[in-house]
Amino acid sequence: MTLNMKRFIVAGLSFLFLAALLVVAYQESKQHRIEEGLEPVVTALNKGCVDCHATDTASLVMEWKRSEHGIYGVGCIDCHGAEEGEIDSWMHEGVRISVLVTPKDCAECHVREYEEFARSHHARAGEIIMSLDNVLALKAAGMPGNVADAVNGCWQCHGTIIKFLRDENGELLRSGKENRPMIDPDTWPNSGMGRFNPDGSRGSCHACHSRHSFSTEISRRPENCGKCHMGPDHPQIEIYNESKHGIAFYASTEHMALDTKGDWVLGRDYGAAPTCATCHISSYMTPQGVMVGNSHEVGERISWTLRPKVSNLINLVTYTDGFKEDYPESRDLPAIGDVVPTVEKAAENFELVTRTVDRTVASITTWQDRRLKMKGACLSCHNDHFVDNFYQQFDSLVTLYNEKFGIPAKEMMDELIADGIIKASAPFEKHVQWIYWELWHHEGRRARHGASMMGPDYTHWHGMYEVAKHYYDKFLPAVIEAAEETSPALGRKWQRKVTALLAQPEHVWVSGLSPEEAAAMANEYAQRYNQ
Amino acid sequence: MSASPNGGLGQRFAELFPFDWETIRHAGAEPVPFHLKKWWFCLGGTPMYLFIVQVATGIMLTFYYVPSPDHAYASVDAITTQIRFGWFIRSIHMWSSNFMIVAVILHMLRVFFTRAYRQPRQLNWMVGFMLLGLTMTFGFTGYSLVYEQLSYWGATVATNLANAVPVVGPLIAYFMRGGAEIGPQTLTRFYMLHIGVLPLLAFGLLSLHVLLIRMHGVTELQFEGEEPPEERRFFRFWPEHVTTELMIGVLLMYLLTILALIFPASLGAPADPTVTPAHIKPEWYFYWDFRLLQLTSLKVSVLLTGLLGGIAFFWPFIDGWLERRSKNVDLIVVVVGVVAFLGFLGLTIWEAVAY
Amino acid sequence: MRDEGTTRRGVLASALMGVGLVTAYGTLGVQGLLFLLPKRLQPRTRLLFAGRIDDYPVGGVRTVHDLEGTPVLIRRTEEGFTAFDATCPHLGCKVHWEPDEDRFFCPCHKGMFHADGVGYAGPPGDAGQRLSELNMKIDDVAGVVYLEVKAVSGRLA
Repeated sequence: MTLNMKRFIVAGLSFLFLAALLVVAYQESKQHRIEEGLEPVVTALNKGCVDCHATDTASLVMEWKRSEHGIYGVGCIDCHGAEEGEIDSWMHEGVRISVLVTPKDCAECHVREYEEFARSHHARAGEIIMSLDNVLALKAAGMPGNVADAVNGCWQCHGTIIKFLRDENGELLRSGKENRPMIDPDTWPNSGMGRFNPDGSRGSCHACHSRHSFSTEISRRPENCGKCHMGPDHPQIEIYNESKHGIAFYASTEHMALDTKGDWVLGRDYGAAPTCATCHISSYMTPQGVMVGNSHEVGERISWTLRPKVSNLINLVTYTDGFKEDYPESRDLPAIGDVVPTVEKAAENFELVTRTVDRTVASITTWQDRRLKMKGACLSCHNDHFVDNFYQQFDSLVTLYNEKFGIPAKEMMDELIADGIIKASAPFEKHVQWIYWELWHHEGRRARHGASMMGPDYTHWHGMYEVAKHYYDKFLPAVIEAAEETSPALGRKWQRKVTALLAQPEHVWVSGLSPEEAAAMANEYAQRYNQ
Repeated sequence: MSASPNGGLGQRFAELFPFDWETIRHAGAEPVPFHLKKWWFCLGGTPMYLFIVQVATGIMLTFYYVPSPDHAYASVDAITTQIRFGWFIRSIHMWSSNFMIVAVILHMLRVFFTRAYRQPRQLNWMVGFMLLGLTMTFGFTGYSLVYEQLSYWGATVATNLANAVPVVGPLIAYFMRGGAEIGPQTLTRFYMLHIGVLPLLAFGLLSLHVLLIRMHGVTELQFEGEEPPEERRFFRFWPEHVTTELMIGVLLMYLLTILALIFPASLGAPADPTVTPAHIKPEWYFYWDFRLLQLTSLKVSVLLTGLLGGIAFFWPFIDGWLERRSKNVDLIVVVVGVVAFLGFLGLTIWEAVAY
Repeated sequence: MRDEGTTRRGVLASALMGVGLVTAYGTLGVQGLLFLLPKRLQPRTRLLFAGRIDDYPVGGVRTVHDLEGTPVLIRRTEEGFTAFDATCPHLGCKVHWEPDEDRFFCPCHKGMFHADGVGYAGPPGDAGQRLSELNMKIDDVAGVVYLEVKAVSGRLA
């Protein structure tokens, strides 16, 4: 061996040695990270799970390892562990577990959040199973024996009743050598907000707090809400994206402190923009200190309900057991301490039932109080004059929709039923019923939601413009058409009614603008386009 | 680098430190026999290198180690789990000690089978043998310092063994324990042996060992079919041989680091004088003696150990005695060496697999 | 003999060797220096989630495990929480809580400890030993109990 060869070997070995030392340094830093709480803790209880699942479901374990749960040693069994007798449980590798982690499981630790969520508007999203929307999915889009549209559509946001496959004797069907109970594939996978779980709890926390990273950042981002709050019937995310708020958010995401641990307070941790969570549930700074958000009560700060055919200002009645109910402004409020019959929906034996329960009124939050809570967030950036005027703009739009279109259209539909022209039991029999459905459920909502969250285009072009166009051009003709189909006499009656309606001041424009208005418009186009 | 006539600073330094640098240059230029290009002739340098590693890491560990029965275990635990790179330094120290035993044994085997201990180098064999004993004592005392269950009971058994040595045994045991029984004094004594007495002895013996090599000159060996020309029979100590040693040194560091990573020094349960563990085992290099102890009685095994040690120690003279009486000394030496080594290996493996 | 160190190849070899040796032993030296720098003398611990306050009935004892799998017995009284290392101070067997007797019991040598961890019978009682305690952090606002345990890396676990 020549001397130079030896030198090269020494050099090579040196670099190998150096590489090994770097591994040593990595080990040392890893230990340091574990001590600093930056590395996950696999407790003895969960080691068995992690050993296999690190390769079986590698990404899932990776996600858990970077989660706060992983860091504090809250692992697989802590959430998936089940008790004997739980219908969804089975013995897996010697441990009784369940694949469904319900809010009740999360409530082992997150009690406050569970209680807030359980009585929130979100938790009741699953009650839609009896609504018109669901009829459309099950009947209009579906067919007997195939509810796939509801399964893949509605229920993925609203949630459904989790059911289990059974044999003809009603016994649970089980699969595999571990006898795992088989969940009805029509009902799971499902991360719907208002899921009815076998343990009686409502909803699923991972609708917002996605498994298995359980990142608070995800739940604070607008995209998270946008999974469901979007589309033709309630395009909140599109409106937000169009609004100044959304623009500010996307431009300044890095200033949003989205990964803040614990409370995420507007005006303390961030101020760049509001997200959905900011205005509807989160804490904000006030001159008196932090207004602690009621973090899992999404409807608390909403003063209008913008979803129904006609919008209402809503008061909130809370009962002693935590049950909550919105009272439209028109409905007389009970007194505190009154015992009032309330209607609630629940899953019983895997079916949705409605029952009336007497409850005692504990507190009342008026729509003004609710609005004040919302305004508190606005005031973090805007002055009171600005905020008050905004609410006037918004209120006017809702009133406009209600008075010009919402109320008259609803009254006409009610009267069509009274005249026997359409049937309440056949909601989509006639052309006019489809037109009316979209008028309030799609276009009317878009207009109102657009105004509520400062989306000009959704307020007008996707909203009020469509409402007006279809009201004049489709709805009113369809009303007459339906009446004429029923009888010539009814046809004449409705022809007269519509003619009378169009003679009202807000509708006379249809038959012609005033000469001054027509001249001004012609002039405007001539100037703008030189035509 | 002798004082240069025109160098101001160099001259000042030479006056302040009147050392004849030529000596070093001369020593470095010592020709090395050609056969040292074969790697197994570098085994002698290996324990030397590892000794330096041990001194360095050992000094580092004493920064944190507390030689008291109340704190010894906790301080080792702290080194292992809390001090930055503590686990690494401790693992290097542990692995290096094992390497050292292996290297010394390999070095001895090489010297034995090449009969390099013959006249006039008998004395150096004996010095080398003492160094082997020292290395093993290092390992034994060092392991005891960890003060975990196994090392504590290993120390207990060893002092009991010493007690069985005829005549001087009880005195040695009494000295090692610092009393009639193992007690708080024992750990302090082991500590002082490990970091004070043994290193001094080792340093002295190592120096003597190297000095004797230099004075006698390295044994020149030639192998059949390999007749290097006269001008190539030697090569230079610097840079040729030093580079070889560097190569071995870095390789050793690499292996030590890898082993420290894969098999870091562990820490068992803390020593408990009231509970004897079900299976006591000393370090692996005492397995052969431990097995001997179980095969025979305490007395016999101690005497046998002494006898075997004596034979090994005085082997160069036995070899000379044999040479005067037999023509087949080479064969006898090979047979004795093979039997001794296989015996050692066999007993060690036997003990390793026995439970 | 020709000096190989002066050829182009020789210079390259020497340079590579020099760089390699200096960086490798230099790194080792830095690590050694970090070892000697006294930085973390306090035993390093971290908090481990140990359940909700409501999980602990007053007067009851619940078992959790630290990062090494050693059982820790957490007892709640009117005054607050106490966490005991379940390792018997005698020989390291694991003690358990006996609610009927209101004591901790070690099955190995019938060691008995009062509810406050003080040994009163068996070898620990004779030696005047007691169960060692671990620190806890109680978050009253969130209603959560944390146990302070030794931070152990995956390497050693």
